Amino acid sequence: MNKVLFLAHLRDEAGEESVQLDLAGKTVADVKAIVAESYGLQKLDSAMTAINEEFASNEEVIKEGDVIAFIPPVSGG
Amino acid sequence: MSNRYSRQTLFPPIGKEGQEKIRSKHVLMIGAGALGSGNAEVLTRAGVGKLTIIDRDYVEASNLQRQQLYTENDVAEKLPKAAAAEKRLKAINSDVEIQAIIGDATPEKLEELADEVDLIIDATDNFETRMAINDISQKYEIPWIYGACVASYGMSFTVIPGKTPCLNCLLKTIPIQGMTCDTGGIIGPTVQMVVAHQTAEALKILVEDWDALRSAFVSFDVWRNDYTTMKMSRAKDPGCLSCGEHPEYPYLSAENRTKTTVLCGRDTVQIRPPHNEGVDLKEMAGKLKALGYEVKGNPYLLSAELEENRFVLFQDGRALIHGTKDMAQAKSLYSRLLG
Repeated sequence: MNKVLFLAHLRDEAGEESVQLDLAGKTVADVKAIVAESYGLQKLDSAMTAINEEFASNEEVIKEGDVIAFIPPVSGG
Repeated sequence: MSNRYSRQTLFPPIGKEGQEKIRSKHVLMIGAGALGSGNAEVLTRAGVGKLTIIDRDYVEASNLQRQQLYTENDVAEKLPKAAAAEKRLKAINSDVEIQAIIGDATPEKLEELADEVDLIIDATDNFETRMAINDISQKYEIPWIYGACVASYGMSFTVIPGKTPCLNCLLKTIPIQGMTCDTGGIIGPTVQMVVAHQTAEALKILVEDWDALRSAFVSFDVWRNDYTTMKMSRAKDPGCLSCGEHPEYPYLSAENRTKTTVLCGRDTVQIRPPHNEGVDLKEMAGKLKALGYEVKGNPYLLSAELEENRFVLFQDGRALIHGTKDMAQAKSLYSRLLG
């Protein structure tokens, strides 16, 4: 299983702080599509992804037990 | 005031030598809103040699809750933020040379300024300018510090050309319709926390304590008590067009830029964003209504009106800002609402 964390306004949109999903073998891009679909998230495309607190590209493959976090960049200043 | 900086020079990583370095440096601040106010005040008090501040906006009542350099007087006089900031900063520390530029931080303007600055601090409210800052930073080898905030959520990252990944490595493209302070709200402590992270990094850079820099991307939520760091050791993209092996600095070129046109005789400015990713008009209508806008629309466009602000937004992100011929003012409204 994998823990998926939602940060900032993604948490409000998903209605959850984190979810448990079985994602081993999938790429970050796959996970974005699955999670966006399941939790009604619109802006995951532009969110950055961390796997085990390390920046991950869309091509990276998830391993069993990895913790995935979606970090949406914000523009306010 | 010979002991003016004594508490700072007593701090061993700065010391007298560090203070002299701070004194010899020129910082460019892009934006004089909440982050710009906070960053500028810290660096001015710390005794930086010269601070150039560029901003296209003027002070409004809704700024006062968090933009620490401004007063009710500035609102009454509708002072440009750069001018009001200059006045206040000079009163705080007359040692510091303050250069205020009232206008748009276009890539041309940034290139003009780049030659003589040691550090760029991002205090802007949109990713188009940030990507231009990012390219300027790479092209002229100037460090820059990204900072942004909305609601109770803030983030920061330090870009050192030749060492760290850059913003283009992380984002790949300009994220459209990010939440902004005008749509998601913002509280003072979020601003202060981002400012604290940016200015700590700024001081390290100014005293050239490179090993002390934070290499991780930090983000936090001061209301929900989250603090997350993301390590960046695998983030640098060798094919990045901004910092990779064959840089093209795409955000300094004309096709990646918002096209702004004054429509003659109509008292209207048209704004066309560079990437046609589309806007969710229904969601935008909801946000605008929450802000008090009167919103009408159809599947192709929405029109919104609040006091002197009147505009039409099309599904492809293009907007007509009515009641003005001022491009900077129109772009400012657009950025505040659409990021």
